[in-house]
Amino acid sequence: MKRIETSRRKFLQGSVALCVYATSSFSFSQPKQSSSTVANIPYLCNMCRNKCAGFARVENNRVEKLNPNKYFPKSRNMLCPKGNAGIDALYDKDRLKYPLIRIGNKGDGRYKKVTWDEAYEYIKDKLVTIIDQEKDNRSTIAYCNGEGFNKDEYIKFFGSKIGSANFLDEGSICLNTKLGATQLTIGDVGEMDVAGSDYLIISGANRYESLITPDSVDMIHTKQKLVVLDPRCTVTALKADEYLPLNPGTDLAFCLSMIYIAIKEKLYDEKYVEHYFKDFDKLEKHILNNNYTASWAESKTHIPAQKIEQTAREFFSAKRPLYYLGRRSVWSANDFQLRRAMVLINALAGSVNREGGIIFGKPFVLKQEEINEPLYNASEGRFDLEGIVYGSQKGGSWLNFREKVISKTAPYPVRAMFIRKHNIMQNMPNIAKTKQMLEMMDLVVVFDTMPSDTAMMADVILPECTYLEREDMVMSFNRLEPSLALRNQVIQPLYESRSMQDILKGLGKKLSIPLFEVSAKYDEDLQESIKESGMRKAFMEGGYDLAELYKEDVSVRNKKLIIAQFGEKIYNSLKTKGVWHPYIEKEKELYNDYYEYYPKEKRFYTIKRDYKVNCYLKKLRKSGFDPMPTWHSRYDFTIPENSFRLITGRYVTSTQTATTNNIMLKEFKEKNYVWINNQVAKSLDINEDDYLVLSSAVDSVVIQAYPTNKIAPQVLWFAHGFGTASEELTNAYGKGASDNMIIEDKFEKIYGCATMHETNITIRKL
Amino acid sequence: MANYGMAFDYKLCINCHACEVACKEENGIDLGAKNHRLWIQEDGEIEGDFWNLDREKISFMQMQCQECQDAPCLQACPNGAIYTDDNGIVRLYKEKCDLTLACMKACPYEARYVDEKNHVTDKCIFCADTRLAQGETTTACQITCPAKLRYFGDLDDEESEISKVLQSRKHFTLKPELGTKPKLFYLE
Repeated sequence: MKRIETSRRKFLQGSVALCVYATSSFSFSQPKQSSSTVANIPYLCNMCRNKCAGFARVENNRVEKLNPNKYFPKSRNMLCPKGNAGIDALYDKDRLKYPLIRIGNKGDGRYKKVTWDEAYEYIKDKLVTIIDQEKDNRSTIAYCNGEGFNKDEYIKFFGSKIGSANFLDEGSICLNTKLGATQLTIGDVGEMDVAGSDYLIISGANRYESLITPDSVDMIHTKQKLVVLDPRCTVTALKADEYLPLNPGTDLAFCLSMIYIAIKEKLYDEKYVEHYFKDFDKLEKHILNNNYTASWAESKTHIPAQKIEQTAREFFSAKRPLYYLGRRSVWSANDFQLRRAMVLINALAGSVNREGGIIFGKPFVLKQEEINEPLYNASEGRFDLEGIVYGSQKGGSWLNFREKVISKTAPYPVRAMFIRKHNIMQNMPNIAKTKQMLEMMDLVVVFDTMPSDTAMMADVILPECTYLEREDMVMSFNRLEPSLALRNQVIQPLYESRSMQDILKGLGKKLSIPLFEVSAKYDEDLQESIKESGMRKAFMEGGYDLAELYKEDVSVRNKKLIIAQFGEKIYNSLKTKGVWHPYIEKEKELYNDYYEYYPKEKRFYTIKRDYKVNCYLKKLRKSGFDPMPTWHSRYDFTIPENSFRLITGRYVTSTQTATTNNIMLKEFKEKNYVWINNQVAKSLDINEDDYLVLSSAVDSVVIQAYPTNKIAPQVLWFAHGFGTASEELTNAYGKGASDNMIIEDKFEKIYGCATMHETNITIRKL
Repeated sequence: MANYGMAFDYKLCINCHACEVACKEENGIDLGAKNHRLWIQEDGEIEGDFWNLDREKISFMQMQCQECQDAPCLQACPNGAIYTDDNGIVRLYKEKCDLTLACMKACPYEARYVDEKNHVTDKCIFCADTRLAQGETTTACQITCPAKLRYFGDLDDEESEISKVLQSRKHFTLKPELGTKPKLFYLE
């Protein structure tokens, strides 16, 4: 019965079509030439956000195999299934191969192949008209970029150089509440030392199916007690020493009760609290007055009071306990205060700036190249943080931005969008609204490797090369065991694809003078400077050369930067091993190709720093929000009769929508299924594979059922990353359902983050 | 000359499929779920209702050719196509295989599948003609595993890590009652 969502692959023979696919890599069927040239080139993976290190085996200019790189402390000499399947992203037959200009309606997929120059020319004509009509308000262009290496350079181009204030990234649909809560509570976003902890609580994270390096790997290799809270029995829950099933969105009640027990029973680290806590008296009073007892928390969470007490006592008596803060984290309206409560629990145990806690560490700080930024008097500020208490000044709030654009309540029209490595038609709740926003734009330009749902909404599609076809700027990684790592180019870009830097260089050359001329028409300061020093000098000294950063190739820029800051030896290490840290090649093999990197006494567990643990945030109180973590009855888990709460997550073989079309990964999860409690399914006469219509207030999807005892009775779960609308993704199209079609676009007001688990669903059997 | 075997610290498995993908990529196995040299088998059931689940009975088992020292497949092949090579790995003379499927029927571990590209039966050979032939000392599945739960090496070398781990830890083989004498071991 369990054939669908389990890995009993022999059973899959019955359920997966037995068509004979092409081999995964076509050269396998060709005889290998004896005179072939073989090279092992160090690279950094880009199949998800982790950036694990690998060596690519290249034979006759073809990538034949990706292997783990033992030198990188972060990825611990391993590659996950997605990392291994990177070859199939590189050689995906559906890849974007040439620049394209739309000839049909937005979304219908009709494009014509053009040259790069024709694409740039088209963008230039549209953009000059728009910016002229908007009287040089550069913020009429919005630009976005998901997580990744080149994001900062992309911001430099569209923000610093072109002058738009409207940058959006994944933060407000990912983890900004967690980052903000940590920053505001202990003054730093920190890093969690999973390997150093002897007692680990994870709630709202699934580290064995949503892999994060080194955390997931460290959990496997560390002998610690693992306690997992989840409304679904994930693989992480399955492997835990203690699994505490709970109602969705009630983790905060559990945390408040842990704080209550710690205070009531004086289990906290008194010396630490006395030295570092600010407003502890307020916290103490607040928690005790609200009587957040274990039996109170039981009534909210469904976790037995005795289990809550046991967990709290074990946690606070452990030597190095860690309450894991999560990553992709914004589940409920209370998420910001949930993450704060987690930080406070760690702090109460003294698990900050020490082994096994939230560490500050000592990352390598890379010097940045300087660029000359023009000033645009007519450029207006961003508007998406209106009504948001903190928010990220860098990446903003996607849902607030989109709402203001489509309701035309933004202070000025946003008429153009540049979208890179960000599948906005799939990645945020209520896809219909994203479509509406893109339909309103006069110009949509998408940089991507794949014909994603978002690319299908573009006027111009610019084919970017994949991570294996380019060198990226050197990066600094981690705080406890800091290292530098370099993504080296493995092979030349395929087809007519280009690296982002090359795309921006071409675009910059095309746009610089025409856009400068628009500014010269409206900007009085620029007019003055032209009068004083002449057109050419005003252009050059004013920083209007948009391609300034790209005069030299990335490889040349890297070489100069790295050698200037760190010296030639380190540069050579980055080129030959992809990695550098002070103990490279002195790694100690612990067992079976598993290594120790920094000797223990050299790791940055504790650094000298003055900081406070802020229990009470005045700004929140002034804005009408809770200054401390607080439970409200509106957080109680209640849903209408005959409804279910929808929660989302991932399969271990998929990364959001980026891996949906990967022909290798598709073998493991070709489509998603909705998990429904087996007893509930029985009462509704729902059997495995039955087609169900799932409806929310915003839309409906059709998806097949997987009845299981691994999910709570009033909860439905299905994985993100499926149900793609683009017919050009031939492996993915028509497979499974998209969660964001039906998730309602609600967002919390502290960071403007989309709350993904606040949607109620009704179901109907087809 | 070696006597290769593998030991699995099987309880560490998180069923991430990295080994399966690495194997397919390294060895050019045809796509399609039925084509695989190795797989992870979810044994047992999670019992009980959601609020009281019993997770004890479930385990992820690494499945592949068990490299039997008394291999039923070798004995079953009417064409003499199966042999044990110098490194103790059960191999196939591809030209002698005419897909009688006798080996598949004889194998108690379901380790073989039909390689439709080469018209032979195929199974795990410890990356003998890919990695080992290139001078590597690891298999694709072993080196990529996040848990590093696969110990691969020479069972005749007392100093090898696999020999040491088998000396120091309790282990079992699959279906020992059949007398196939597998060289794959599961560590307790």
